[in-house]
Amino acid sequence: MFETPLLKTEEKFGANIGEFAGWNMPLAFTSYLEEHLAVRKEVAFFDLSHMGRLRVKGKREEMEKLICRSLNTEKGKMIGPTAFLNDNAGFVDDIMTYKVSDDEILIVTNAINREKDIKWITDNSSLNVEDLTFNYVMIAIQGKKIWDYLQKPDLEFLNFQLNTKFLDENVFLLSRSGWTGEDGIEVWATKETAEKIFEKLLNKNIKPAGLIARDSLRQEMGFVLYGEDIDDKTNPIEARYWVFDISKEFIGKEKLVEILKNGVRKIRIGFKLKKGVRTIPRNGYKLKALDTEVGYVTSSTYSPYLSRTIGMGYVNSSHALFGYSLSVVIRDKEYNVKVSDFPLI
Amino acid sequence: MSSEVKVGKYIVLVDRFYTDTDEWVKIDGNIAIIGITDYAQKKLRDIVGIDLPKVGQKVKLGDVVATVESVKAASDIFSPLSGTIIEVNYTLTEEPEKINKSPYDEGWIFKIQLDDDKEKEKLLTYDKYVDRIKGD
Repeated sequence: MFETPLLKTEEKFGANIGEFAGWNMPLAFTSYLEEHLAVRKEVAFFDLSHMGRLRVKGKREEMEKLICRSLNTEKGKMIGPTAFLNDNAGFVDDIMTYKVSDDEILIVTNAINREKDIKWITDNSSLNVEDLTFNYVMIAIQGKKIWDYLQKPDLEFLNFQLNTKFLDENVFLLSRSGWTGEDGIEVWATKETAEKIFEKLLNKNIKPAGLIARDSLRQEMGFVLYGEDIDDKTNPIEARYWVFDISKEFIGKEKLVEILKNGVRKIRIGFKLKKGVRTIPRNGYKLKALDTEVGYVTSSTYSPYLSRTIGMGYVNSSHALFGYSLSVVIRDKEYNVKVSDFPLI
Repeated sequence: MSSEVKVGKYIVLVDRFYTDTDEWVKIDGNIAIIGITDYAQKKLRDIVGIDLPKVGQKVKLGDVVATVESVKAASDIFSPLSGTIIEVNYTLTEEPEKINKSPYDEGWIFKIQLDDDKEKEKLLTYDKYVDRIKGD
């Protein structure tokens, strides 16, 4: 089991620590409901040190072969979300890519896929991979009113800078990005610097939030979580996860083209339960149209912003009936599940 | 407020009995008031819903009488004693978070009129419960 370098600091601050993807991480500080609403209405920050971070060096052509989106962009831009696909066009991982130069990129991976990705890159190319995950803490500051609390950096959305300053501290990377649906910045810094940043954010009245709030925020937006909503058997078309440029060549493209031509059997949809229904269907629960099973749930949570249960799952493409209410059985009771498109808020 | 013991970050009240499944029981004559412990609510984290039993329902020791829904999981609440449910905390339907905020007081879940006065001898005293959660 790994743990975030900020664990001690966060425990002092009352963090409820728990396991996520093999890491001991802060799951909540107060209540995820409050932390979630802080991001939607004001601002909060997350420790994301579990996320895999890789530096990949080598020939651009080799990188292009691995990544589903074109790297044909300016230095200092992020490309993504994008993905590594297997030959069946299933997700090896969904990733964020940072273009440092024509022969160097940085990649953020899902925590559970870090080692698998390193092996996959090495197996499929002669690229050099350096694992930076344990060198830097990653902090994301996210929120609707973030710029009321912090000075806006001179960065467009999905742009980044290396070896720069954040709150007068030297940081390795600063980017304008996030995974909550709100504006924000993400920082990679050494443990010592990250601890200073933690203090400085608190002094600016920005409070920490845990991974439970991050999970409910991403579900409202319809963002997937690898292992729950996508895996190596799911392709980007059925996931409706537009992570590829079909005009370029990459591993899995051949199959992807075939899938696009033939269509898909299932597609990812969002859903909402009725207001006042205080229950959560879990991963694997069946979705039904009358008595017929037509799909299943992959993620669900209670949305404090909508005050109702939301989630996502897959239904047969014959039953991707947006606006129609399918049903789900939770502990012998049937509930309406309204098929909805993303974002759910 | 009755006196309490702190075990790490968890509060245990001296005037209650407890179960191995983390319910607390307050005995008042032949009536028992039941809820879940501070330890249980902290383990479950944010509670977002609850399925409550019905008033008049007869229950046996160990029966599942309620289910608490948190973002983490749905967890069953077991009846610590046998008897008839005489009152249910319906306010939890709208505000299940009361269980997080006030597990021993506003977050009580149901009351039972007891069938068997001797059954309560099977419950854990507070010091036994303290031992159970110590070091967790």
